[in-house]
Amino acid sequence: MLDHPNTDKPVLTLKDVSIEFPTPQGVVQAVKSLSLDIHKGRRVGFIGESGSGKTTTALAVMQMLAEPGRVSGGSIDLGGTDVLALGEDEMRRTRLSRVAYIPQGAMNSLNPVMRVEPQMWDGIIAHEGAVDRAELKRRSDAALHSVGLPLHTADLFPHELSGGMKQRVCIAMGIILNPELIIADEPTSALDVVTQRQVMQTLKAIQAEIGSGLMLIGHDMGLMAQTVDELAVLKDGALVEHGTVQQILEAPKHPYTRDLISSVPLVGGESFLNPDARAQAPKRASSEPLLRFENVRKDYGPVTALHPMSFTLQGDTPQIISIVGQSGSGKSTMGSIMLGFNPPSQGKVLFEGQDVAGMNAAQSLDFRKNVQAVFQDPYACFNPFYRVNHALKFPFKQFGLSKSAAHTQTAMEQACQAVGLDPDLVLNRYPHQLSGGQRQRLVVARALMLSPKLLIADEPVSMVDASLRASILSNIYDLKDQYGISILYITHDLATAYHVSDYVMVLFKGNVVEAGPPKEVIGAPQHPYTRLLIDSIPWPDLARSWGDGRQDWDPAKLEAEAAQVPAVYRGTVPGFDLSTT
Amino acid sequence: MTQPNDMPLTRAEKRQARRFRQFDNPWLNPKLIWGAGLLLSIVLIGLLGRFVWDLDLVFTGSSPLKLPPIGFENLRGQSGVAAHPIGTDGGGRDMLAMIIVGAPNTLFVGLLASLIGMSIGIFLGFSAGFLGGRVDDTIRVGADVMITIPPLLILVVFQSAFGDVSLTMMALLIAGFVWQSPTRLIRAQVLSMKQSGYVQMAQLSGASTSHIMFREMMPNLVPYLFGSFIASVTTSIVTAVGLEVLGLGPQRIPTLGRTIYEAINAGALIQNLWWWWGIPTLLLGIIFIGLLLINLGLDEVSNPRLRKLS
Repeated sequence: MLDHPNTDKPVLTLKDVSIEFPTPQGVVQAVKSLSLDIHKGRRVGFIGESGSGKTTTALAVMQMLAEPGRVSGGSIDLGGTDVLALGEDEMRRTRLSRVAYIPQGAMNSLNPVMRVEPQMWDGIIAHEGAVDRAELKRRSDAALHSVGLPLHTADLFPHELSGGMKQRVCIAMGIILNPELIIADEPTSALDVVTQRQVMQTLKAIQAEIGSGLMLIGHDMGLMAQTVDELAVLKDGALVEHGTVQQILEAPKHPYTRDLISSVPLVGGESFLNPDARAQAPKRASSEPLLRFENVRKDYGPVTALHPMSFTLQGDTPQIISIVGQSGSGKSTMGSIMLGFNPPSQGKVLFEGQDVAGMNAAQSLDFRKNVQAVFQDPYACFNPFYRVNHALKFPFKQFGLSKSAAHTQTAMEQACQAVGLDPDLVLNRYPHQLSGGQRQRLVVARALMLSPKLLIADEPVSMVDASLRASILSNIYDLKDQYGISILYITHDLATAYHVSDYVMVLFKGNVVEAGPPKEVIGAPQHPYTRLLIDSIPWPDLARSWGDGRQDWDPAKLEAEAAQVPAVYRGTVPGFDLSTT
Repeated sequence: MTQPNDMPLTRAEKRQARRFRQFDNPWLNPKLIWGAGLLLSIVLIGLLGRFVWDLDLVFTGSSPLKLPPIGFENLRGQSGVAAHPIGTDGGGRDMLAMIIVGAPNTLFVGLLASLIGMSIGIFLGFSAGFLGGRVDDTIRVGADVMITIPPLLILVVFQSAFGDVSLTMMALLIAGFVWQSPTRLIRAQVLSMKQSGYVQMAQLSGASTSHIMFREMMPNLVPYLFGSFIASVTTSIVTAVGLEVLGLGPQRIPTLGRTIYEAINAGALIQNLWWWWGIPTLLLGIIFIGLLLINLGLDEVSNPRLRKLS
């Protein structure tokens, strides 16, 4: 069926593998008779939503399934060895030397009290017994060199490394014994796009160098398209499609695969938004601008998170202003300053002419009612003690919007329907019974019930499954026109910012580097930093070169160059005025 | 697992099914149930005993001296009588009456002391975690310093200076030494919870500080508070019994510790009056085992990772 360039025996053969977890509600089939080969030197991507069985399969290969899960059928063959027949001790020797696992959160996988070097030696010593110290040093240095880290990294502690460096140390540890198979479980999910590109390049290069098979687990179609040779699409534990990336991207057979591909927003591509939802915005009583930053600056100790910034958002016609940047660019700081959670070190934030810092109790309540937020982490937003309707009911009563219990109930039901949730199914549940996507929609529904004038959406979809992102964003987008809510959209995802926003500001280390309408700023970037960000996005487009030659692509150098270039302002939109001084 | 319904379950499967039920409802924890049962039996002895037994027998000289429990003989060759089923002490007090009055007294001191201690701890812990700054520094340093002072040392000085004290007074004194660890625990939890999404959401909803503290945070602290409460009941009882055995507890109120003190003082060990000191010790043991089981059970309830499914 698939034409492999390599015809010798596969590194990993999964044959009819089924994995089940007994639970109080009965046995859950996490993986249902999955069959797949991974050949030497091939990169195979496992893509699917959370709960589709990707990680479970990988853990079964390592014999690291969490209790009480077990492989209930089929066989796992690792280069001629039946993994399931191996004893505890044989398996321990197989791990790392023949199959390496690179975990999801690099920051949590390194021992914080040990320097990097001895941690790398641990693996060698555990497999080969006593090895000469000079030999250990030579091998760990070679491994660090191969992942492109300077050799002095060996003497550092994990907290002295950045997220991308930690992930590369994990890769170095994984390949130090030249395994036949590398399993990388969402190795870049905690990293921003620029670092992600760098880490993926490293992983690809090292895999090509040692010629092992690679099993890459992820949920980002764009990243997969740019990284792997073959793609396995998993849904609810079953393999629904398997083929080369080319086959799958160009002619996806299964409807779920088509959904996955189309859910990746493209810059300049087709919009996923509903364009004909244009209703008239309600008139505002005040003639003061809705939100105004006057020379706002924020310092954390000696570090300036946000350099002085002034802008005015008029708010007469609802608009979406996007603030984009990497982690550490100051975008979330801006969000919390706007919400009044974090007082600025200098300057003033005015909401309808009122200084947010100096409000009395009544003004403060009014401000809270009118400025609402959707946060990044939908899992943390609900108090685990209460049913989810507490989070909707409480503010509604608190702001005096509720006329009666029945009125509250209808308002909640309407809000749920507006974001595409069935109120009977979700409202009386506890938060842990709902998925991340459902919870994030509920947070949007909560904001909608309060009909604020301004909504701060801080990375609202970055922790939600890819297939749901577009629909949640279009929920938020519809709020703008249907309910006349101005929205500040804080994100690192330029593709979605391109589609939803009326105006885009690109932040880099607390400075605006490029600002203007999205068609210009993101569609045709002029500032080198914006270009760096856009180049780093992995798109499901095979023609685009994203990460092959890692020698010529050094983000640190590009960033240093970008810092020298003055900000570029690309035209204005009525209703929003960014001071360009 | 794919057993047809008409087949009888094997023992292993029954055990599995029971584990699942426990996993579903964590409060069905056997440790928790046993622990609570043991403590409840002590309380019941105190409650029911009042109705079926003559409590005037706790007074000195109300009964013959040094009678053994039924079925035993003392050194003088006297055997136990039905009027005093578990014997009498050297002062002619009925042991059963002593236990009916004394065991609940010991529990009462422990519960009261840790209730007061917990209340102080909750108040200070929330203040420190929530207000931060100077208040936090003061409370944290205060709690850290107090935790290093051995309570028995201070209490011995206090009690000997005060002379005779009431049970409540003793509980109050002990409470002064059990508020530190709940303070530290709650402060740490409040600090981490303050950053959590739902507290931010509540702030966005215009919630008052007291709403955030008592309606949003407190319910999530309940498992920790319970655990901490049980631990401090244990500490309080140990401290109280320690003082009583040294003869520094209340002089006129029977408690388990006081009974042991009198037994030792009267040379019960040499005279082989084992029931005098043995029975109160056994009851103290039951109380401690009950508390320990409750604590272990609560740990499993609040920390699902300790619960084993297979």
